[in-house]
Amino acid sequence: MSGESSLLIDNLARHGVSRRAFIKYCATLASLMALPPTAGRAFAEALAKASRPSVIWLSFQECTGCTESISRSHTPTLEGLIFDSISLDYHHTLMAAAGEAAEAARAAAMQANWGKYLLVVDGSVPMKDGGVYSTIAGISNHDMLMDTVKGAAAVVAVGTCAAFGGLPKAQPNPTGAVAISELVKDKPVVNISGCPPIPVVMTGVLAHYLAFGTLPELDKLGRPLAFYGETIHDRCYRRPFYDQGKFAKTFDDEGARKGWCLFELGCKGPVTYNVCATAKWNDGTSFPIESGHGCLGCSEPGFWDAGGFYRALSMPAEPLKVAAKAVAIGAGVGVAVAFANRAKKSVARTDHQTATPADLEK
Amino acid sequence: MSASLSRAVNVLKEVIDAPIASYFASCVHCGLCAEACLFYTETGEPKYTPIHKLEPLRRVYLQEYTLIGRLLKWVGLSKPLSDAELAQWQPLVYDSCTMCGRCSMVCPVGNDIVYMIRKLREGMAIAGHAPAGVAAATRRTIEIGSPMGVKLSALKAQIGHIEAVTGLPVPLDQEGAEYMVLLSSMEIINFPEYLSAITRIMKQAGKTWTLCSTAFEATNSGIQIGVSDLARVIVLRIVEAAERLKVQTVISPECGHAFTALRWEGPNLIGRPYGFKVKHILEVLDELRAQGLLKTQGFGDKRLTFHDPCQLVRRGGVIEQPRNLMRMISSNFVETADPGKYNWCCGGGGGVSANDDAEAIRLIAFKRKKTQLDAVKPDQLVTACANCRIVLEEGLEHYQMNLPVVGLTEMIADHLVSD
Repeated sequence: MSGESSLLIDNLARHGVSRRAFIKYCATLASLMALPPTAGRAFAEALAKASRPSVIWLSFQECTGCTESISRSHTPTLEGLIFDSISLDYHHTLMAAAGEAAEAARAAAMQANWGKYLLVVDGSVPMKDGGVYSTIAGISNHDMLMDTVKGAAAVVAVGTCAAFGGLPKAQPNPTGAVAISELVKDKPVVNISGCPPIPVVMTGVLAHYLAFGTLPELDKLGRPLAFYGETIHDRCYRRPFYDQGKFAKTFDDEGARKGWCLFELGCKGPVTYNVCATAKWNDGTSFPIESGHGCLGCSEPGFWDAGGFYRALSMPAEPLKVAAKAVAIGAGVGVAVAFANRAKKSVARTDHQTATPADLEK
Repeated sequence: MSASLSRAVNVLKEVIDAPIASYFASCVHCGLCAEACLFYTETGEPKYTPIHKLEPLRRVYLQEYTLIGRLLKWVGLSKPLSDAELAQWQPLVYDSCTMCGRCSMVCPVGNDIVYMIRKLREGMAIAGHAPAGVAAATRRTIEIGSPMGVKLSALKAQIGHIEAVTGLPVPLDQEGAEYMVLLSSMEIINFPEYLSAITRIMKQAGKTWTLCSTAFEATNSGIQIGVSDLARVIVLRIVEAAERLKVQTVISPECGHAFTALRWEGPNLIGRPYGFKVKHILEVLDELRAQGLLKTQGFGDKRLTFHDPCQLVRRGGVIEQPRNLMRMISSNFVETADPGKYNWCCGGGGGVSANDDAEAIRLIAFKRKKTQLDAVKPDQLVTACANCRIVLEEGLEHYQMNLPVVGLTEMIADHLVSD
């Protein structure tokens, strides 16, 4: 790509994205991130002028689903193109180089952009037994992370594995997996959780960083507040059914067909903070609840260990039903005891020996 | 477990019925029964709390008839009843309970505690833990016919004496009489005034009446000691005699527990209704008064008060009758505190007066009666129970109170209009 402009806007233009489409996208992104309307223009101007930042992408204990989610789409998207517009200097899934050459590229990118490059990490880091459970080019994940993070401007932990440990950390956690934020203490870390995370969240954070040179406001779990500020439940289109107490009881009952709330089928929407219900997936097509399945809670810490996916968060106690059962059982026990007692008393009556005055004077 | 103890436990299993189960289940442990018991109020000792006296019965109930109790017994947390325990409880169940029923009266959940004492005594007696005095009285009642060993010959002697004094016949075994009159041994030996009074009253009222040579004794030691088998034998004597003589009404004498035994327990003991009515002498006298057949003259001006026999007021509901009769003959009748159904026991009912072991505690308990009387300061104490009368006399003597005690029937007889 030598000789061509490294400005983002030029790059986009080369891919046939009009200036108008770009500004529209920036306005959308600004509103999505709850920035003031004027920020859309500032966004566009800043983004347009931004030169391709260097990004080093490390993949540790992960499934590549996060990379799939963000980089792969059926038609080129603006998110994809913005991704194309960064200088992704090291990504062992995507890069052509291999072996010595790949590691040399990482070293070169680090040296060239020392203190400025963005470090993106997906996957958790195994700590048990000296970190032997995951190595790249003979280097343990831990060592590679700690080495690479030294020159990074900031770290973006992509996916629930990187953000909170994810599946590798699930009980019994055989590899001693830990989240990135547990290892990186001296650089800003943004957690973009989700299994996988929503692409627009990733690009939103990148755009914010590119446009303003800072990371967006984070919640207490290190997630961008703009995307993780509300629960799935609060933004769910099925919420009115919840409020009316209309629940699907099975996946094929009348309630399920009528699109009633999936709470009783284990939906974790009420305790899951993410933007699925508004940003949606697959180019804004839908999100899981629209397909008739409850939220799994994938963007929350420890979601693999949070109980069954189909177990309701809580169920009303139905005291009347319990009381009726208790009464029935109590009555049953009472009748049984009464019969036993009658039998005992009748035996006592049979065993009765008539008293005589001699019995009294002993 | 000794043979007598296992027999006793069997008896307790037998007597525990639905009322007892509900009483134990509904006891709220409020302790109000303690304040109702003269043995508690006069000693202040918690062991005299009436419901506590039932502990052996409660244990058998829990262990035999409740799920929890059975489990506790099974795992050894609830010990089976022992002879030693029953011996320990004997003073509580016999010596310090007159079966006066005041505890049953005040129980806020309606537990008939005295009913349960009566049932517990069934087991205690069979286990051999009944007081010797009461046991001997029961044996004499069964074998001789009267708890004091009074025989028909003694009664006949008294009859002769009374006929001589009153100049009136005393009918014996007269078939078809309206009333069959019963006596307590005490009245034959200590208070013959009673029979004399009956003779004169019946004459004036123009009623036919009779004594019965096979059933002149009204008292029932079987009830006091708590042995239904023996109580039944004693009741049956009277029932058979009354039905043989075809009398309309059997009159229970001035004796509290005799009335309870014959009037309330009797039909249940023999398992059928009587062919005659049972009335206490005060009920009969008040009926005669209401019919105008009992005519008296003159009013005494002595300060009189009435001691309500427990079995009459609390167990029998005879409350207004003695007051109607008292007002016929006295212009100076005063009530003690807690009159009628809340009256305090003399301390000698329920077999306590026949129980030598109980003498000391009985005299302590009498302080309750003394307090009542001291507050009123009567010239004469009237009652309608020969047992109360003798216990009161002993108590008054012990506390050196100079107060004569008389029976209400003889007082009425003394005021009869002379023809």
